[in-house]
Amino acid sequence: MAEPAARQDSESPAPVDEEELVRRARRGDLGAYDDLVRRYQERIYATIYHMTSNHEDANDLAQESFIKAFQALKSFKGGSSFYTWLYRIAVNKTINFLKQRKNRTHMSLNDLDFNAEHDPDLMALISDKTPRREAGLTELQEKLNAAMLKLSEPHRLVVALHDVQGLSHDEIAKIMDCNIGTVRSRLFYARQQLQGFLSDYLGPT
Amino acid sequence: MNESENNFESLRRLLALKRHEIPPPGYFNNFSGQVVSRIRAGETAETREIAGLSWLLKFLQVFEAKPAFAGAFACSLCLLLLLGILYAEGPDGTPKATFLAALTQPAVSLADATSPVLSPAPAQQGLMVSTNPVFSLEPDAALFGQQNSLVQLQSSLVQPVSLPGN
Repeated sequence: MAEPAARQDSESPAPVDEEELVRRARRGDLGAYDDLVRRYQERIYATIYHMTSNHEDANDLAQESFIKAFQALKSFKGGSSFYTWLYRIAVNKTINFLKQRKNRTHMSLNDLDFNAEHDPDLMALISDKTPRREAGLTELQEKLNAAMLKLSEPHRLVVALHDVQGLSHDEIAKIMDCNIGTVRSRLFYARQQLQGFLSDYLGPT
Repeated sequence: MNESENNFESLRRLLALKRHEIPPPGYFNNFSGQVVSRIRAGETAETREIAGLSWLLKFLQVFEAKPAFAGAFACSLCLLLLLGILYAEGPDGTPKATFLAALTQPAVSLADATSPVLSPAPAQQGLMVSTNPVFSLEPDAALFGQQNSLVQLQSSLVQPVSLPGN
């Protein structure tokens, strides 16, 4: 089984520095908290975006998650890493938001970066399906996001964290507060579901 | 199983497309600044709100700490309300203090009401008799009393004049 792809953003900061920043932020140092936000903003935003498929919602929820984390910093005991704790806040906030919104989904997708057109894996996948590559990518992006939105929130979260963001099963289990077996079974079921939804784009078996 | 893994592999390659979805350029440059300014704005608003409601919060905290105070406060409010009703002015502008007096002497008033034969005076004077036996304002007596005192005052002040022609 292939390992998940490497994380998108910069490598994890030194834990000592992070502890110091958290300590200072707990004392109300907004400068220190600004540093913490900069470290995790891309990952938190991406997780929420992949859950909602909506840039505006992801922006609001990511900001609110960081604000809530700052307000709750005094209750952070350090039992888990700040990163895991922050993820939990963002994930819970996003799931609550999605439950309130129920099925009223509205996609507002981000543009694909330049590298997407040069990704050999993606090109191999599309070239069999459509002769117009650019139109194919956009169409594929929409179909993929629509299929993701058909999954239940826990299943979508597992796919977003593992297959898109590249987190390990262990990290996901900590974030979702469940055991690794649950993460694996959810991932398997979610992939099966997605495979069914996207069968037209995955080619013959 | 192998086939399934292969299928998942192509699915994972497809899912890799999502990694190429990026927010507008420069989006993350202002993100942390917006978060921090929202925190600052929230703190300022919270401070103002707390300052405005601090006395109320302290007051409620006392109630939470000692429920007996809450009971005492409720009793005093009820007492104030009762006093307010009792001392409220009637529609004619006269205080209903007689109501208190009537309450203290219910037997007499009740006797008057139940036996109208014993007190025929109002009927003789041609006044409307109230169905409420408690109130007996006796307006005539008060008016006549005032008139009598005025007449007495006038007679004491006015001296008979003796004109020389008479």
